[in-house]
Amino acid sequence: MVAAGWSLAARMLRRDLRAGELTVMLVALVVAIAAMSSVGLFTDRVARALEREADQMLAADLVMSADQPIPDAFRAEAKRLNLALAQTTIFPSMVQIGDKAQLTTIKAVTPNYPLRGKVRLGRPDSYRETVAAPSPGTAWGDQRLFDSLGLKPGDTIVLGERSFRIVEAIQREPDAAMDLYNFVPRLLIPAADVASTGLIQTGSRIRYRLLLAGPADAIKAYRAWAAPKLQRGQRIEDVREARPEVRTSLERSERFLRLSALVSVFLAAASISLAARRYVERHLDPVALLRTLGASQRLIVSLFLRQYVLLALLAGALGLGVGVMAHFALVSSLATFVKTDLPPLSWWPALSGFTVGVTLLFGFCLPPLLRLQKVSPLRVIRRDLAPAANERVAWGLGALVLCGLIGWQAGDALLAALALAGMGGTILLSATGAWLLLWLSTHLALPLGPGFRFGVANLARRRVMSVAQIVALSLGIMALLLLVVVRGDLLSAWARSLPPDAPNRFGINIQPDQRAPIASAFRANGMTAPTFAPMIRARLLSIGDKVLKPDSYKDERARNLAEREFNLSWGDSLRKDNRLVAGRPLNDAVPEFSVEESLAERLGIKLGDRLVFMIDGRRFEAPVTSLRKVNWDSFQPNFFVVGSHALLGGVPASYLTSFHVRADKQAFVNGLVRTYPNLTIIDVTVILNEVRSMLTRAAEAIEYVFAFSLLAGLTVLYAATLSTQDERRREAAILRTLGASSRVVWQAMSTELLMVGGVAGVLAGLAALLTGALAASKLFELGWNFNWYLPVGGLVGGAAGVLLAAWPLLRKVLATPPLRALNHS
Amino acid sequence: MTPEFAKGPIVRAEGLTKQVGMQTDTLTILDSVGFELPPAASLAIVGASGSGKSTLLGLLAGLDMPTSGEVTLVGQSLNRLDEDGRAKLRAERIGFVFQSFQLLGALTALDNAALPLELAGRANARREAEAILRRVGLGERLRHYPKQLSGGEQQRVAIARAFATTPDLLFADEPTGNLDTQTGAAIIDLLFDLNREHATTLVLVTHDDRLAQRCQCRLRLAGGKVVEREGV
Ligand SMILES: Nc1ncnc2c1ncn2[C@@H]1O[C@H](COP(=O)(O)OP(=O)(O)OP(=O)(O)O)[C@@H](O)[C@H]1O
Ligand SMILES: [Mg+2]
Repeated sequence: MVAAGWSLAARMLRRDLRAGELTVMLVALVVAIAAMSSVGLFTDRVARALEREADQMLAADLVMSADQPIPDAFRAEAKRLNLALAQTTIFPSMVQIGDKAQLTTIKAVTPNYPLRGKVRLGRPDSYRETVAAPSPGTAWGDQRLFDSLGLKPGDTIVLGERSFRIVEAIQREPDAAMDLYNFVPRLLIPAADVASTGLIQTGSRIRYRLLLAGPADAIKAYRAWAAPKLQRGQRIEDVREARPEVRTSLERSERFLRLSALVSVFLAAASISLAARRYVERHLDPVALLRTLGASQRLIVSLFLRQYVLLALLAGALGLGVGVMAHFALVSSLATFVKTDLPPLSWWPALSGFTVGVTLLFGFCLPPLLRLQKVSPLRVIRRDLAPAANERVAWGLGALVLCGLIGWQAGDALLAALALAGMGGTILLSATGAWLLLWLSTHLALPLGPGFRFGVANLARRRVMSVAQIVALSLGIMALLLLVVVRGDLLSAWARSLPPDAPNRFGINIQPDQRAPIASAFRANGMTAPTFAPMIRARLLSIGDKVLKPDSYKDERARNLAEREFNLSWGDSLRKDNRLVAGRPLNDAVPEFSVEESLAERLGIKLGDRLVFMIDGRRFEAPVTSLRKVNWDSFQPNFFVVGSHALLGGVPASYLTSFHVRADKQAFVNGLVRTYPNLTIIDVTVILNEVRSMLTRAAEAIEYVFAFSLLAGLTVLYAATLSTQDERRREAAILRTLGASSRVVWQAMSTELLMVGGVAGVLAGLAALLTGALAASKLFELGWNFNWYLPVGGLVGGAAGVLLAAWPLLRKVLATPPLRALNHS
Repeated sequence: MTPEFAKGPIVRAEGLTKQVGMQTDTLTILDSVGFELPPAASLAIVGASGSGKSTLLGLLAGLDMPTSGEVTLVGQSLNRLDEDGRAKLRAERIGFVFQSFQLLGALTALDNAALPLELAGRANARREAEAILRRVGLGERLRHYPKQLSGGEQQRVAIARAFATTPDLLFADEPTGNLDTQTGAAIIDLLFDLNREHATTLVLVTHDDRLAQRCQCRLRLAGGKVVEREGV
């Protein structure tokens, strides 16, 4: 009997399929799996494209830099891990042509530079992009070098002990932003020619960089190997550390992409749970029949288990196929970077869609199956003997499965926690709300027409089913709405964070008495005067009663931070782009410190710790009374540590500012520098442009993934509503037999649908309002943001959506003779 | 009695044919059936299982459309009405009892029986439905759901639902099929009371000889054709 199990299960499945019994289940399952795998595939590729886009700013995936030549061991390990590697050597020197000379940043690169991104060569109006380094004996200069020395391509310049023919003008170097103080012109030469210049001598200021690129796990392995071996002066960084300006936007977009993938899991769960219920309801009779024919309980369970396995494999394969195809269709319909730079397909997300679908199927079908096992053969005769549905076990197991899957798919504890809170909250809210509504609708005698009354009563009569339906629908709608709000919040925050007039110059080393004249020079030029922040160089001596010993930090970043001199500021610590995460704002009357959150974490500084700084040989000691979050991508002056006025107000300080200069105002800036020779202006346009382009791409990615997830989600919800439609078809047909007019049938059905959809929508909107606010604040760090339109949007969207989904079926039933409609269901 | 069909037949079937398409060929399940029935008459349709009785009944009540031929009820051709027009006719004039009852599982016996009255907008729908359920012996089972009722009890709810609006025409598919002799006899009495009191025309499909004999007319089907007629 057991040997016959598989073939019998297959035959039963085939029969069910032919009879149309499984169509709804199969459609729901296939659509859910297709949505998960296509969204998964797409988000995975977009996430990797974004990451790679960011890596261009390093010209590599990982960079090791040092102030001494990099030991061979670091290169050997990279080769062992099959990583691509290139080297750059950067130092300042004079470049000469005839009697003209110019201080220049020289960058010697190996032939395979850059590993990520491209070098842009030519004139600003006609350029080409290339992945190459200058060939031996030649050099490429940037536009500033060409301008200041009056160069033409083909000229020969002198660098140290040898000459180079300068053949190209560089418009853009992918990793130029790495050297922040790049206000001098730049020259690229081949690494092979460095030695012959005779400029590399001990004591010269040289930065050595080893660029590495390769698969993510190899990079990770390399980093793990290298980190403990780093000596003083050596550093290893990826783009997030090297360019904190893009870190936030990268992390936010990644979270959004993962959230989209999670949303498709939620929707699949909602859809599969509905379909599975229906499926099991319809299978009570055959099970009872099998029992009367002498099948044992064990046989029945194993038979149905096998049927599920076969069904899952079938739906999984179909869903996977459809998902992959949908994903390709999407990608080929795309424009812009998402298409051109998309990394190759990875099969993991598709497979995980399959796994999630199958797991969900079992999660939702297993408890009812165990329930089926107890079906009494008597049910064939007495149809009321269905065993009481153990709703709690079924939902409990479903929820447990879902929790596991969410944890797995989220890949990030905070996101998982938020998703679970959102899910739990939605289920609780919608279940309570649905019960309440059904109770009210039966206990309030509303003066309604027969059609409406029938609809309301019908909903209340099928209480358990109605509640389950509302809960599942709520969950689906909530997930979609969450995506809608998070997308909106994120995009508008980005639009705000880097407006067109975001600062593109930093001015440092401003003396206190120069502030007023500089401000009035700005005003005289029709520009708004910038604000000036005091800056004091200081060394951190101790945290609490622990004297700071850089070597005691295992983390290389922490060690670097502990070694460095700090730039302190005082006063107004909570700028627009700073957010208090712990403690209270600085009290200017009392000596105290406010510390940036990530620095505090790295150095182990806690709220209440007393910090001691040395400034000009004097000790300054005060407790930490707040931790701040800083938006490094705002291009405003910001400080890791800020003291109160009472503490640092009396210390001599220079001032720092940032401001926006339009291209046509450059002359004004040059004039400023001439008037105040001590003033240093740093042009951060390059970085700003990089960050802005990164944001544009991240926004683009989010838009695509959002639109796609929304579409996939609506399809899933539609498939889910199908699973509740066959009961309606029968009811409509019977009402027709009893002579109900189309209007009455419409009233009855639409009352029911509108109530289910509307209630689910309102509750989902409410849940999305709270979850969205939580997401904005905790996950995306945008502050609390309540989108009050959500419940209304959910109400309208839910009601209209459910009605629209049922529309075609209802129209068909009303146009068909009742007997035919009855035979169909 | 309403004038428009007082002179003519209340049911007229002409050349009723029903074919269904199977995978390869078409199957004729009803072949050129024709008859006329005067108001307040009673007709029994008999025949072996699968002979087309239920199909004919469904066509007569306008629950399905014939492949060819025409049904005229109370002077109106069903072919010329749309689905809504036929539904309206059913609401006003016709009661139907399905062989498989077709009760709504989510409604109690009382709600099922009251449904047509509610649809017709009767103020005392539930009270009237309750009275009818009592007449069919279900006074104690008003609040039970169909799946809690036996087959015979469900059948009686279906009959009560068809009776509820005191229709001019009642179609019933084996109304006593699941009933014991005694209950069956009570239901038959009920049908003929309705026939007498309200001049309701009865069209019944039955295997029950007693019931067939109480009808004025009889029609025997075999293989979708009329093979014997009595009084029509
Ligand atoms: N939609 C359909 N498709 C195919 N065959 C059909 C369809 N409807 C009815 N039939 C066939 O037509 C024949 C007549 O069916 P019908 O239900 O009218 O029989 P009946 O006389 O009422 O039988 P019974 O006494 O068993 O109820 C049967 O053989 C049936 O299988
Ligand atoms: Mg029949």
